[in-house]
Amino acid sequence: MQAFQQNLAKLEAADTQVLGVSMDSRFSNQAWAEKIGVSFPLLSDWGGDVTKEYGLYNPKYKAARRVNYLIDKNGKVIEMQLDSEAIDPSKVVQACEARKLGR
Amino acid sequence: MKRLLLSLLLVTSFLPASYAADNKPEETPAPKIKVGDMAPDFTLQDQNGNKVSLHDFKGKKNVALAFYIFAFTGG
Repeated sequence: MQAFQQNLAKLEAADTQVLGVSMDSRFSNQAWAEKIGVSFPLLSDWGGDVTKEYGLYNPKYKAARRVNYLIDKNGKVIEMQLDSEAIDPSKVVQACEARKLGR
Repeated sequence: MKRLLLSLLLVTSFLPASYAADNKPEETPAPKIKVGDMAPDFTLQDQNGNKVSLHDFKGKKNVALAFYIFAFTGG
């Protein structure tokens, strides 16, 4: 999430809202957001309903997989990165900036 | 001796393949939501207790939705 925070200004400039999601409790997310200085919403999917609906539940860790989605203004998924590919958000940033320019 | 070398070569040539297979996330199926799908709506609580829904941004902004494994870890 630190990497998204570092790119937040670019993403906001490209009309993009960043939302983090995990199966952590809200209080865990609150403490973590304060510690690392995240200013965008970290959403608590306590129980994992949303994680499972997206098909991202990893039973081995009893947690979500690391996945980035870019969803357009109509609600359609236009980019997806999985696991290790999802650590670096630069593909998401590039896609947002390309859309802003009217690709 | 030649035979031994050959069998050794055979065994080692199979090693990388089986090693890679072991490292695959065997229990994690492909995500249900992929590029081209409509993202299912949700309403969840953020770290400050505010309710945030995906539909809040419809028609207004793109959404970068970043699922992460655990708080207090990297990435």
